Amino acid sequence: MTKTFRLSETVDFAIVGSGAAGGVIARELSQAGFSVVVFEQGPRHTLADFQHDELKNWFSAGLINDVVKSPQTFRDDHAKRGERNLVRPNLYYARTVGGSTAHYTANYWRLHECDFDECSRLGPIAGTGFADWPIDYAELEPYYTKVEWEVGVSGLAGASPFDPWRSKPYPMSPLPVKSSGVLLERGARKLGLHPFPAPLAINSQPYRGRPACIHCGFCHGHGCEVGAKASTLTTMIPEAEATGRCEVRSESYVVQVVTDKNGRASGVRYFDSDQRERLQKARAVVVSANGAETPRLLLMSANSMFPQGLANSSGLVGKYLMWNFTTRTHATFEHELNEFKSVQCSRIVHDFYDSDPKRGFYGGGGIDSRIGPQPIIWADRIADDEQLWGSAYKQRLADFPRTMQCAAHGTSLALETNSVELDPELKDAWGMPAMRVTYKDHPDDLALMRFMQARAAEIMDAAGAIKVSNSPIKPQTSSVHMLGTCRMGNDPAKSVVDRYHRSHDIPNLFVCDGSSMVTSGRGQPTLTIQALAFRAAEYIAGFARRNEI
Amino acid sequence: MNTTRNDGLSRRTFLRVAGGALGGAWLTLDLSKVAQAAHDAHEAREAGALNTSFLSRAELADVDAITAQIIPTDDTPGAREAGVALFIDRALATFFGRMAPDFRSQLAAFRLRCQAQHPDAGSFAALSNEQQIAFLKQVDRTPFFERVRLLTLVGMFAMPKYGGNRDGIGWKLLGFQDQHIFTPPFGYYDRDYPGFKIEVVSKS
Repeated sequence: MTKTFRLSETVDFAIVGSGAAGGVIARELSQAGFSVVVFEQGPRHTLADFQHDELKNWFSAGLINDVVKSPQTFRDDHAKRGERNLVRPNLYYARTVGGSTAHYTANYWRLHECDFDECSRLGPIAGTGFADWPIDYAELEPYYTKVEWEVGVSGLAGASPFDPWRSKPYPMSPLPVKSSGVLLERGARKLGLHPFPAPLAINSQPYRGRPACIHCGFCHGHGCEVGAKASTLTTMIPEAEATGRCEVRSESYVVQVVTDKNGRASGVRYFDSDQRERLQKARAVVVSANGAETPRLLLMSANSMFPQGLANSSGLVGKYLMWNFTTRTHATFEHELNEFKSVQCSRIVHDFYDSDPKRGFYGGGGIDSRIGPQPIIWADRIADDEQLWGSAYKQRLADFPRTMQCAAHGTSLALETNSVELDPELKDAWGMPAMRVTYKDHPDDLALMRFMQARAAEIMDAAGAIKVSNSPIKPQTSSVHMLGTCRMGNDPAKSVVDRYHRSHDIPNLFVCDGSSMVTSGRGQPTLTIQALAFRAAEYIAGFARRNEI
Repeated sequence: MNTTRNDGLSRRTFLRVAGGALGGAWLTLDLSKVAQAAHDAHEAREAGALNTSFLSRAELADVDAITAQIIPTDDTPGAREAGVALFIDRALATFFGRMAPDFRSQLAAFRLRCQAQHPDAGSFAALSNEQQIAFLKQVDRTPFFERVRLLTLVGMFAMPKYGGNRDGIGWKLLGFQDQHIFTPPFGYYDRDYPGFKIEVVSKS
């Protein structure tokens, strides 16, 4: 029986969000002896709910935010009005206990040293918010290791010559290689590159009470039916609840962080599953609602004392939105790969990780071998003007088991104009302001996308593919990686939270998730988000013990 | 409460989505009606009768003919054998009900246009194979065709519990297997993999 708190009680911490960061912080604070209520907008699923249902999870709001109930608007220029997207949310995430760790691919890349101090290394870039982090790799390294061991990551230490130093190897050996991984490795080595086993937060053997992967092929966009993929739903959250001091309140949509007359956070106002408005009092509030919903919540929490929204004296809440692009290259081979089996990625290439001034633009990235899309999306995506329907199209459909995807990911430059704000007109189903997303790629990001995709295509050629096709590179309008919108920094005029994730403006309001990141990394931010969360929780617990919140 | 319809599938949207990061178009799926739809489709097949739920018999015949051009039957089964037309009929009556009014009016316009070109044939379904292909080439950039095409893919490749993909015909066509457990080797190229070797390199 897990703990249930009454609304009349003042709990130590209200945590908004049960995902990558919220789940970790809930466990750490409850294990440290504090009372915690975690608020999650979405429902709580059990593993039995996770079916191989592509239609539900990819074409409707099966797991993700609902474009009808929680609409968003998008524009690429501040002079324009935001257009409502009726097809799919521009920023989308899993809206369920576990957050996006429920439906992610579980690629767990550490940031490298350069990601933290690249601005100092390379020099500033005019017109951007490119900056160093207030912490360096060495400061975060113990927490990377902690995530890898507490959450469970499979990988091979020392396999990549480009990896940063580490204090401990991975707790589990890599997952079995797939045909796509063998081909990526073959092609990359022919070109003199250094492919290595992809680190994944998926069990290659039983680990901490969860079973090994059964290779069912439904990681990406789906929940894991056996719990081998590390979601906070099956890792951190149950351990938090086992303390008897943590309640996870699902279907509870927080719409305001409330402050008292002294300008301190005093609790959260939320809608429960019956759309009733509720107030939970708390000694301190931690917002870990993701890089899109966190700034939206702080902006929605504006009141007479904080008319710009909470923690926003810098005006930077919601600014510097960064994504990690994905470019796609589909490659068809002579024999069957059967990429629909097992995990998404088994081999990656980090030879292009560092920014190289010789390329003429800023940025770097990684390349991975991965499963192609699942059946409906495959059938949709391979259609082109020549083969939209009919016999030739049907023939192309049958290339499914012989085709893989080689994807590239990389940096986004922080731009103040790229942002999450409140739409001035559109409301959601609860009557709250909809999210307005403004985003336009920096020219260097687009140049990097073209560069990385060309490298991926070369690797597929070198691997012996009989057909290689690149998905067109266009300005991005959508992402699942939402970073940088409440950036960390030492200067209250240039950042939202300090190096401990405490907001500069309100001493008992903490913010920790993808929004804290100062640079985007090269893709796959979840491990960093969780390392930040372990570190933040340690400091927050210390502040609470010393009555410094 | 926002009740804006969200099943618009313009050609522009389709192309953006198909080439982009997102997979497919968004379909408003009323999950509470999935079981009923599958049950209905199953009953209809068992009875061997074409008792339609949403479309008229004549409309169903036309939809069936369109889907059979999208994924034709040749030496392997196509949309017809997978039961796609009946799937579309049941889906529009149930979990895709939100798009049903648009679908009906677009289908009516399609049929009128076809009739104007082929007054003697009476319906799209009654045209010869060549005539059907020629006509579809004129209309395959319309929102209606895109909608039927997407519904055909869903009826072919979604889980059979939604009432299509009869006997897993769609998945067999692709070579996709829906299983809970697979074991390595997964494909041809990982069969004789010797194991990962760390290369000693200097970071230049």
